[in-house]
Amino acid sequence: MAMDPEEVEFLAEKKLVSIIPTFNSNVIHLISGDIGPFRASLPVNVPLWIAVNLKQQQKCKIQPPDWMDVDRLQELKEEEKMSRTFIKMPSEHYMIEAKLLLGCASDDIPRADEIRTVIKDIWDIRMSKIRSSVDVLVKGAGTYAAVDNLTLMEINSIRPLLPHALDQLYRMRKTRKSAGTQSQNSSTFLSMNVNSKNTPSKS
Amino acid sequence: MFCDKAHTLIKELDRNRDILPPYNNDLVNEIGKEITTLIEQNQIDAQTNETRNSEGVSLMPTIRVRHAAIHRNLRCILAYHYNRLNSLRTMRWEFGSILPVEIKVNLSTAESNWFAKYSSTLAKYMRSLGEDGGVNLAVDMKPPKALYIEVRCMVDYGRFELSDGSVLLLKKNSRHYLPRCECEELIRQGVFQHIVN
Amino acid sequence: MHLQSAYMPNYFAIDDILATQERTPCKFIVNVPTLGVKLNPSAEGDDIQVGTTLELPMWLVQQLGRGRQPVVSVDLPQMYKEAYREVLKADPRAVNLHKFGLYFYELGSYAKEFDNQREVNDILIHTFKGRFRKIMDLADNISSDSTAQDSLDVLERRLYTDGHRSRSKLNAWLVESGVPLEAANMVINHRKRKRVDIEDI
Repeated sequence: MAMDPEEVEFLAEKKLVSIIPTFNSNVIHLISGDIGPFRASLPVNVPLWIAVNLKQQQKCKIQPPDWMDVDRLQELKEEEKMSRTFIKMPSEHYMIEAKLLLGCASDDIPRADEIRTVIKDIWDIRMSKIRSSVDVLVKGAGTYAAVDNLTLMEINSIRPLLPHALDQLYRMRKTRKSAGTQSQNSSTFLSMNVNSKNTPSKS
Repeated sequence: MFCDKAHTLIKELDRNRDILPPYNNDLVNEIGKEITTLIEQNQIDAQTNETRNSEGVSLMPTIRVRHAAIHRNLRCILAYHYNRLNSLRTMRWEFGSILPVEIKVNLSTAESNWFAKYSSTLAKYMRSLGEDGGVNLAVDMKPPKALYIEVRCMVDYGRFELSDGSVLLLKKNSRHYLPRCECEELIRQGVFQHIVN
Repeated sequence: MHLQSAYMPNYFAIDDILATQERTPCKFIVNVPTLGVKLNPSAEGDDIQVGTTLELPMWLVQQLGRGRQPVVSVDLPQMYKEAYREVLKADPRAVNLHKFGLYFYELGSYAKEFDNQREVNDILIHTFKGRFRKIMDLADNISSDSTAQDSLDVLERRLYTDGHRSRSKLNAWLVESGVPLEAANMVINHRKRKRVDIEDI
């Protein structure tokens, strides 16, 4: 079942991120849980969607997660290049976090532009591997492909193309029942009851 | 060749995948006549003694061909109506409960009636969900990001009343900052355009 | 979230109805009285004689070619015969499947029933596997050949459309930072069509 990227983003926004509020407030009770209390200048963890909202209202400063650092990301990029499979990313939703945080708080993140570039490079390398992997899966006798460590956004990128393609392949492999038996789509003349009064009716 | 008309009917749908062409009453009736004729011919042939014609050749193959044609015609007619209805149902979710005039004229009477009934069943269902008059399922198709949004009006719509009673005059190209839930239906209808920085 | 299931032929499916309209060569093994002109416009007599060869649509062939007393013996459509199979085996990607056979896979799934050697089955699978990469690249906008889309058959085109739509959404998301609401697709297309109609006057 294919999701819209916005829906994947919606799920990712629940992830906690650290902020430094500029206001004071008691605990706030939300449907999804409690947040706060907020004391100006003291770091506190909140879901990503709240962090973005507060930042846009200039009520906080965002603290980038540890992995959002140019050198660390360069290392990851080299690892990903070397590896035949997919490396484990430091965040389940690295692409979404990057987009949201760099989008609203690039002033709070050192070397934001470089970070954007490296993350995009990593994304491109992984997407390219996914495509080769998918092609091998469709072509080959293999019945599975290793997709460990893929994030949801990456997995969603091959939907619905891959599942639909595999369904069509399945249809082709399925052999029809042998000629002489009835098909489901139409009735053969020989099976039609012309004289229904001869057959007892079933209720 | 048998079922040529039925083929034309289906091709009409194939060419117009996401719009609804006018209901082809004439073609449907002609196909209906072809079915009746085939049935009559088969009944005559089937009642002949031992289903052999005057030269002693079995009429069974003939009967089978006609029978296949009858079912083929039936299938095409049913598929025609079914696919149109499916399109119509999708339209309720895309256009809302009032269809543009250009689409309404293409519907048969039965289809118009069906649409009205579907709309009202849907409305009744939505009203019954939760408390407070129900939930409008046709809004929030994508996860909303903010409570208020900025919109630009694309046509001269005229007066628009908000839920708090205040009235806006919507002229072409005017911009407004409004609660998201009030705008959603007009955005779907193309009256408003959502402005994003 | 859209519950899109893959295409499966069913009674109401337009593509299945059109696919079964495609013709295949048959030879009559019994006489068929009266229908001479109906089935064969250039026929001389009223009846169809044993031994007549005609191209009949698949929906009719399915009723006449099967069962305990078949009326016709069924041959394969041209595009599944040996010469064409060799072309496909050589390089599936180079073939313009749209010209080759618009309903290549759909018709093939019906035609293979009348193929005792299972060669049709194999060629369908082989061709599909060979061309999949092409479809995927097209959908992902990687391919630089804008006319490649025209060489796909109906089944491939459907896969391409689904994949392309999903990829476009992803690309749009990657580019923007907000989530603009949009007019429903049907409404946009309707408006475009209306504009064109008015300009025609």
